Amino acid sequence: MSLAAVTGFRTWQPRGEGPWAWLAAGSVALSLLLLAGLLTLIAVRGLGHFWPASVSLVELDDGQVFAGRAVRELPLPAADGAGGARERLYFTGNRDLDGHVWQWVAVARITASELPRELVVLERSRHGDFIGRLVEVVTAGQQGTSVGEGGRGGGDGGGTATWTTLQERLSAVDALRAERDELQQRVIPPLVRRLENDPGDRATQRRLAETNERIRGLQESMQTDAAVLESVDGRRIVLTLDEVLRSWRPNAMSLPEKLGAWGRGVGRFLSEGPRAANTAGGVWPAIFGTVLMVMLMSLLVAPFGVLAAVYLNEVAHQGRLTNWVRIAVRNLAGVPSIVYGVFGLGVFVYGIGGSIDEWFFSDELPSPTFGTGGLLWASLTLALLTLPVVIVATEEGLVRIPDHQREGALALGATRLEMLTRVVLPMAVPAMLTGMILAVARAAGEVAPLMLVGVAKLAPQVPMDGEFPFLHLERKFMHLGYHVYDTAFHGDDIQAAMPVVYATALLLVLVVVVLNLTAIFLRHYVRARHGALSRH
Amino acid sequence: MPELPLSPPSQQRPDATRLESDRSTAMGPIIDFAPDVSCLDVERLSLSYDGKMALRDLSLRVPRHRVTAFIGPSGCGKSTLLRALNRLHDLNEAVSRQGSIRLEGQEIHAPEVAVDELRRRVGMVFQAPNPFPMSIYENVAFGLRLQGGLTRRRMSDIVEWALEAAALWSEVKDRLRASAWSLSIGQQQRLVIARTLAVRPEVLLLDEPASALDPISTLKIEELIRSLKSQLTVVLVTHNMQQAARVSDYTAFLHDGELVEYAPTASLFTNPRLARTENYITGRMA
Amino acid sequence: MIKPLSAAPSTRSPRRHLLDRLATGLIVAGGIGVILAVLAIGAFLAIEVVPALFSGALSQAQITLSLSPLAWGTLKAAFWALVFAVPMALGAAIHSSVYMSPRLRSRVKPTLELMEALPGVVIGFVAGLVLAPWVERHLTGAFALLLVMPLGILMAGGVWRLMSPALRQRLPLAWAGLWLVPWLGMLGLASLELAPWLEAWLFAGDLRGWLDTELGIDYASRNALIVGLAMGFAVMPSVYALAEDALSGVPSSLGEGAQAMGATRWQTLWKVVLPAAAPGVFAAVMIGAGRAVGETMIVLMVSGNAAVMSLSPLEGMRSMAAGIAIELPEAVPGSDSYQLLILAALLLFLFTFLVNTLAEVVRSRLRRRYRRLGDVS
Repeated sequence: MSLAAVTGFRTWQPRGEGPWAWLAAGSVALSLLLLAGLLTLIAVRGLGHFWPASVSLVELDDGQVFAGRAVRELPLPAADGAGGARERLYFTGNRDLDGHVWQWVAVARITASELPRELVVLERSRHGDFIGRLVEVVTAGQQGTSVGEGGRGGGDGGGTATWTTLQERLSAVDALRAERDELQQRVIPPLVRRLENDPGDRATQRRLAETNERIRGLQESMQTDAAVLESVDGRRIVLTLDEVLRSWRPNAMSLPEKLGAWGRGVGRFLSEGPRAANTAGGVWPAIFGTVLMVMLMSLLVAPFGVLAAVYLNEVAHQGRLTNWVRIAVRNLAGVPSIVYGVFGLGVFVYGIGGSIDEWFFSDELPSPTFGTGGLLWASLTLALLTLPVVIVATEEGLVRIPDHQREGALALGATRLEMLTRVVLPMAVPAMLTGMILAVARAAGEVAPLMLVGVAKLAPQVPMDGEFPFLHLERKFMHLGYHVYDTAFHGDDIQAAMPVVYATALLLVLVVVVLNLTAIFLRHYVRARHGALSRH
Repeated sequence: MPELPLSPPSQQRPDATRLESDRSTAMGPIIDFAPDVSCLDVERLSLSYDGKMALRDLSLRVPRHRVTAFIGPSGCGKSTLLRALNRLHDLNEAVSRQGSIRLEGQEIHAPEVAVDELRRRVGMVFQAPNPFPMSIYENVAFGLRLQGGLTRRRMSDIVEWALEAAALWSEVKDRLRASAWSLSIGQQQRLVIARTLAVRPEVLLLDEPASALDPISTLKIEELIRSLKSQLTVVLVTHNMQQAARVSDYTAFLHDGELVEYAPTASLFTNPRLARTENYITGRMA
Repeated sequence: MIKPLSAAPSTRSPRRHLLDRLATGLIVAGGIGVILAVLAIGAFLAIEVVPALFSGALSQAQITLSLSPLAWGTLKAAFWALVFAVPMALGAAIHSSVYMSPRLRSRVKPTLELMEALPGVVIGFVAGLVLAPWVERHLTGAFALLLVMPLGILMAGGVWRLMSPALRQRLPLAWAGLWLVPWLGMLGLASLELAPWLEAWLFAGDLRGWLDTELGIDYASRNALIVGLAMGFAVMPSVYALAEDALSGVPSSLGEGAQAMGATRWQTLWKVVLPAAAPGVFAAVMIGAGRAVGETMIVLMVSGNAAVMSLSPLEGMRSMAAGIAIELPEAVPGSDSYQLLILAALLLFLFTFLVNTLAEVVRSRLRRRYRRLGDVS
């Protein structure tokens, strides 16, 4: 006989927890959904930027023809309220021909849209992308292969031959460009420096002249070849090949080719500098600046943070004062980062930096050397900002070490230093690492204080080069987070900058997430280990 | 070990109260022997902890090369006394001390005594095994490395000797490089003893060394203690009166920070002279 | 078997003691130095501003005029952030401390920690450049979402009770945090699909125009609601983490007593656990408020930065932190505007420091109480 029958329970069904319990469950689900949505959005848009998307040839009902990449589609803001009307945004490139690169088109007006294989996309050093057809390649003095007049009818075969020629010539130009860059960056600067020290040095003067001559020669030979291009509505331009950075025919690419191009695109994004007012090109200087600043900050914060934590936990008299200090340090982790920025600006930049300028760089005043934002001040400010994080994490690790470990070492005749270095600190290493990683993750994502103490929209020189003293602490630097902010909010063409911003944001999120996952994993490991220990 | 039953004072046997009144505590502790060769001399030691008295004017002498047990209810000060013997209270600023402790005639609180040297001579093993997070070998070599000046050969000889003295060698000789935390709790405690023996102390202080262990490990530790007394002075704090009876030569009963009775173990357990002692060892007082 | 002990050599080494004393000195000096450096922030801000305040260089009127819009904007942004963050964070904390399966909980907690670590500049970018224009275009859809989400969750609860026991077992409440995600996703898409019809039906196809003409509300694309949503997203994880700690720290004996008398888990939570953990939950909200007040990049990127003082959640604002970030680099040191901005920073510092101290004191009291309760049980 069932219990329900005996005791008169209504049913075996468990009593409901009521609507509030479901709302509580829903808020977990909702926050997970939001997080997943945000990450997916950034990942898809950030990675999609590098995908060689197809270029369609579009014909409108009024006979207008253009070629472009469909970017997005929106419902038309229709006054009649009859749903269904949509418009589509195309990226058409050819800024030099059209004066614009975007085109909104009502979907209803499109009469034909196809993906011809011969459409080429050229990334140029001026005027942005070109989208159209390749007519012929003109090499020095001679008529190159061509698809002949009206390449449109020439079909695929002829186009492919010209395309192959273009690729060959382009790789030749690339080789020349690499040689020129090598000369400009590695050979010229030492010669110039030598001349600065000794203006009368004949041999160096001659060598400098020779090198400059050679560079001129290289530049000329880069310009000998040209491509004749034609937009889909038949306007022609001639482009010397040194202006072409990259070229592809998206509609003719197979999937593996597209994947390869995508991988190369990602690689270039990570390794090249920005172009076109930060809306194109890569973010290498920002990566470099971020990493360099974070490393400098770690060098500062790790020893001092650990020192302070060891003092608070192992040496200081555990009285009321120490407790207050501990709470204060903990609270400083919650002080807004912009306040640290203000402190950095007031004390480091204007205070210390200004004094350094007066003492050591007085001949360069009034233009400041250290008296303006720079790498050193940014690292110091962020070190201060992240000190509480490291102190708190290290202290947590130290507190978790059972006292009998310390007593065990002392009972064997160890001094305090020996106890600390041989037993206590090794056991606290994972906790310190956790603190450091959290500090680095916070510093990598922090932008607000940097806006006050040294970040730059576009730094012409990275803060590290072959010039003495190699690491230029006074220089401004680029930062991934600031790059996101600046490109997204201070560009002229936000639409064009969006892909770069997405990709940069994705990179930043990846860095921070990977660092945090490492910290979470480490902490888990520490807890598991100490849990096993304290069960004894 | 089962908790000792609590019994209110009113339920004490009438003759116990009579005994108590016979010999008033105002007379001081009953000390029923005079050690011929004393190793540690505690004289009028008082210790307070944040203003609270933990030890009151306590004097006792620990004989050399014997096992001396301190027994008494929790909070009676027996562990405090033990920790005072190698100045572990130095770490705690809240502790203040009066009186003296002499090791082989030398005052351990004298300014010229280096506390780490004292702790090397007076080794201590704690209630919970506390091996360091290193290999078994490194644990034993820890104290030796602090002093330095040993060849690698000599070091491993001493490590082997210490492990053998702690009756652990045969169990770990094939995995000296394994983490010390991989040992069982009983083995860990013997490892800690080996680690202490390796620096060749003159006195070994054991603070309830077997309270965290199972009966078999406890037996091994007790055997070990008996075998060690031919070479060093052992002081044992224990909750377990059977253990004190089994292992020690002399037993001191402490209560409320005072020494109550101190006698050869056999006579203290069979013929306690004070009612308080008898109540404790027969289990009428927690 | 055991060799006799050799006589102990006297190995007292003065070098070791010297080293020890040196290191201790270094630790003390370094530790105190670092702590002073960190604490110097407050001192610096005070030194820069207080003389100007007392010497009358900054007049009362000047301060009121320039700082009150900023203070208003800061509080408005923080208020809307908390409106979004607190219910979500507390709901999530309650669910994960009371109902959630331990296995899921050990995954969800680090995930939300990760959410806390997302850089503000990324959240600000997505909210300012993606979400704000999107909401402007889909105003009805966005409002519909705000309404549909809670209703959809309640509906899920209702449907769950009617399901067969076998199905209920497959979709337990302990895992609801996970299996509600696709359900909510579907609901969201559905409500967006339906929104245009709704708009056409209720607001003659133009909610924005309707708001303007009927209610007189001017809709700014970057407004307090979007700021609140974005900052709520940023603040929610820290409130969640602290509230969860407070709730799950309540000794289980307390709740078990109530459950043994037949209370549901929700009743237990409401009557027993929540009162016990209230100070901790309060501290969590305080710390969330501190973060919301100081967050710079999100407000900077999403609020539009117009120094308007209005109550409307559909208009923008300018916060103190954002004002400092924009104006301080251009301000000449020592000038009035420089000192006003430093004063703003001092106010931010004092506010967050006090709020955090309060929260910390409350939390440490609570920890002590739990320890006592835990001892009794």
